Amino acid sequence: MSKELNLWLDDLLKDIKIIQFKRKNSRRVRIDIAPEALPALLELLQGRASYVHLSAITCVDWIEDNEFELVYHVWSYETNSLVSAHTRISREPGVYLSVYDLYTPAAFFERDIHEMFGVYFEGSPDMEKFILTEWNGPPPMRKDFDSEAFVNQTFNWEEYHPQWLKDIEAEGGGITTRPEDVR
Amino acid sequence: MNELDKIPVRQEISVADGSAKRSNPLANVFDELVRFCQSRSMFMLHYCTGCGAIELPPAMTSRFDMERLGIQPMVTPRQADILLITGYVSVKTLKRIILTYEQMPSPKYVIGICSCTVNGGMYWQSYATAKVLREYIPVDIYIAGCMPRPEAVISGLRDLMGDIRSGRADNWKRYFQNYDYYLGNQQKLFGEDWQTPTDIIAEAEHYGLMTDQTLGEHTALLQKHQQPLEALEFSLGEKREKIQGENR
Repeated sequence: MSKELNLWLDDLLKDIKIIQFKRKNSRRVRIDIAPEALPALLELLQGRASYVHLSAITCVDWIEDNEFELVYHVWSYETNSLVSAHTRISREPGVYLSVYDLYTPAAFFERDIHEMFGVYFEGSPDMEKFILTEWNGPPPMRKDFDSEAFVNQTFNWEEYHPQWLKDIEAEGGGITTRPEDVR
Repeated sequence: MNELDKIPVRQEISVADGSAKRSNPLANVFDELVRFCQSRSMFMLHYCTGCGAIELPPAMTSRFDMERLGIQPMVTPRQADILLITGYVSVKTLKRIILTYEQMPSPKYVIGICSCTVNGGMYWQSYATAKVLREYIPVDIYIAGCMPRPEAVISGLRDLMGDIRSGRADNWKRYFQNYDYYLGNQQKLFGEDWQTPTDIIAEAEHYGLMTDQTLGEHTALLQKHQQPLEALEFSLGEKREKIQGENR
C-alpha cells in the first residue's frame, strides 16, 4: 500500500514544473522549491499525502551566495517516507513566512532559527529569545560571526604548563602525548 | 566558630631547641580527629554539567564503589560538602554553579572533572562556554581527561581526602578572602548588576575571613546594584479560580 502511494506521489510531484524532485531511496525524497511556493507544497503534502509530522526545520548559511537555505523535513505515517523540502531565501533582510498555521511545532523551530541565524518568520507566534537568554551579541550560527575571535576577546586562558602539572609530571603522570607529537 | 584564624590548625613545635611549649596538648589531637572525620565522610553534590557525569554512576555504584571511602552522593547543596563539576560549563550553567556553591556550608570543596573545566576542552572555540572555572570559584582539585575514568576520579578524591587530613584543602577560604577578584570575573561575564541571594561579605565577616582583598571596586558595584531580597508572591486561590474558570 505504502509503496503504491509513494509511486503516485512521485508521479504527482514530477508533474509539477516549478520544483526539482529527487527520490534518494524508498524512504527519502528531496524537493527543491522556490520560497513563494513552499507553503503551498507543504499544504499539499499535509492534506493529500498525510505528511502530518514536521520533524525539523533546519537552516544553512550560504554566505558566498548571500542566501539562507531552509530545509523542512516532513514525515508521513501513511507512506513511511520523509520529504525534505529545500528552499533558499535572500540573506538580506532574511525574512520568511511562518508555517505555524500548517504545523504548530514550527513555532519552536522558527524561534530557534531566529535566535541562531537571525531569520525572521512572519506570522510565527513568538520570536523572543529561546535558549540563549543571556546572549546580547549577533546570531552566533551565522558564518560571519567569528566565534574564535569572540572567545579570545572575552575569556582568559589557563597557563599551558602550570605548576600543578609540573607536580603531576614529577609523580610520573601528566600529558603523555604532546600536541607537537600529533601534528 | 567566629574567628577561624585563632583556632590552631597546625601548631608549630620546634623539637630541636625545646623552647616552644605546648599550650594545649589536646588542641592538635582534636583538630586532627576532626579533619580525619571530615575526610572520611564526604557528601558529594555532583552538578552534572557535561559528559563527565557518565563516569560517576560506575564510580559510585558497585563496580568501583566510592562509598567504601566514605563518599556518598547528596541531593541538595545545603547538605553537601564537595561540589563536583563534571564537564563543560556554559555561561548560563556557571550562574547556577555559583548560586549552588554559595549555598553550600563551609568547609566546602570544588572538584573540576574533565578538560573542559580546566581550559574549555574541546569547546575552547565555543562562544557559550566559560573556559577557566577557577576564575569564578576556587577549585580544590582538577581531574583532567576527556573523560577521566572512574579510577582517576577516585584517585583525585583520595588526593582531596589527603589534603583535607593534612589541612591543606582550604581553598573555600579564598572565596571569602579574595571575593572581589571572583566577583569581578563573574561581573565580566554576567554584567555589572549580577547578584546572588547569598551575602558573601556578611559571611566573610562571620567567619572572620575579611581581608583587604575581600572588598574592592567590584563589591562596590555589587552594593550599588544590590536589591534587597523579597519573598516570592505566593497565591494559590487566584490560580485555582482561573483554572476552574477555564474549565467552565
